[in-house]
Amino acid sequence: MRSLLALLLLQAFSVSLVHAKEQLLEVVVAEPYLEMRSGPGRGYPVVYVVGRDEVVTVLYSRTDWFKVRAPRGQEGWARRSELALTKLESGEPAPIPPYPDFATHRWEMGAGYGVFNHQNLVTTWGDFGLTDSLDIEFVLQQALGTIDNRYIASVGIRHTFIPEWRWFSPTAGLGTAYQYIDDKVPPKPLQTSNQLAYVSLGARGFITRRFMWRADWRKYTVFTNQNQNEEPQEWKFGLAVFF
Amino acid sequence: MEIRLSSVFLTAALLSGCGWFHRGEKAPTQVVAEEPQAEPSIIEPQVNRRVVKTPKIKAKDFELGGYFGALSIQDFGTNPIYGVRAAYHVSEDIFLEGFLARSKAGTTSIEDVFPAITVISDSGRHFTYYDLDVGYNVLPGEIFLGRGHAFNSALYVTVGMGDVKFADKDQFALNFGVGERLLITDWLAMHLDVRDHVFETDLTGRTKNVHNLEATLGLTVFY
Repeated sequence: MRSLLALLLLQAFSVSLVHAKEQLLEVVVAEPYLEMRSGPGRGYPVVYVVGRDEVVTVLYSRTDWFKVRAPRGQEGWARRSELALTKLESGEPAPIPPYPDFATHRWEMGAGYGVFNHQNLVTTWGDFGLTDSLDIEFVLQQALGTIDNRYIASVGIRHTFIPEWRWFSPTAGLGTAYQYIDDKVPPKPLQTSNQLAYVSLGARGFITRRFMWRADWRKYTVFTNQNQNEEPQEWKFGLAVFF
Repeated sequence: MEIRLSSVFLTAALLSGCGWFHRGEKAPTQVVAEEPQAEPSIIEPQVNRRVVKTPKIKAKDFELGGYFGALSIQDFGTNPIYGVRAAYHVSEDIFLEGFLARSKAGTTSIEDVFPAITVISDSGRHFTYYDLDVGYNVLPGEIFLGRGHAFNSALYVTVGMGDVKFADKDQFALNFGVGERLLITDWLAMHLDVRDHVFETDLTGRTKNVHNLEATLGLTVFY
């Protein structure tokens, strides 16, 4: 037991050592000065100014702002666009990451509201771009109605017709889904779970930074063990972040 | 007509023949002027180029934490509530946030007056919700504590939707909130929130929209 404790302590110590060794980016101010603000926002006052050729350490970022440390230890927040004008000690431009390009982004996560067959729908999704115009979408949603409450998980592919259109770009997709029905009022549904297939039409657009919107209309075919398949429809609108 | 056709074929044959003959020809060779030979260098550098790795900047846009407070469930009294929250800050103004919380309802007035009556079962008294919200920092600023301390803060509004499970039934619920975030340090924040969860229910006899107000105090970590 004691040896285990010692081992754990050693591990904790080594982890902290690794953290201590973690290198931080150092950049040289190339413009006449770099402003440091008291908070990560446009309204916060400038509390310190670093002059040309002085070295600042970049600690971390939050949205559009970077926490930096001046040579004499003062800390503050510098704006992305201003920090991007600094240089490395080798003279190369500082590697301040720009926001991902909307047209060529790979990952996306979002949530939104919709209507599934006259039921309120809460939807969440993750999206991975295989190419600029072809995505795989994973969707988890809950449709809350007066008769039943259903959970729908789906996976499908989606094509974006003109990905370089930033503000509005039409999409179309198809895929498969699985639903689980939790009844609220009797009678019980004949089947509590089904396989579904869908086709979809929609659109997406850029809002700001890494923020975007998406709208989607889907027509499902619910495979039942009755003589007829059900064909519910769904529409939804959501907001997402892309990486 | 015949003459024209034969002339077309003849031209085609001629052209293909030309092509055939051209196949044998060599491509014209380029005449390259001989470069004057450089003098052999005396010292040959045998230094490997050093690969310089520039450290990456850590993004701390996520916020994770918990909260507790009081939830007033319409017709069922005010009760303690506990929850967890996670947010992603998209820009200095906008953030997306998710909540998951649980409370337990008390008794309604008719149950207090007539103890034999039970409106909902004991297991159905749990009030559980999840919410997906979008938030906007309306009034960012600083809060001063005495002469020597200033804390970054923001007053924000949120709107969202989710599911409230109450009386063993899931209901679609909208929520509207206002909150204050106070950053104790740049990575630790304190939240004070007031939010209203609105949903439709027929629990007390007639269908109506119920408002369930909560006031909570939370602590979150940016990472």
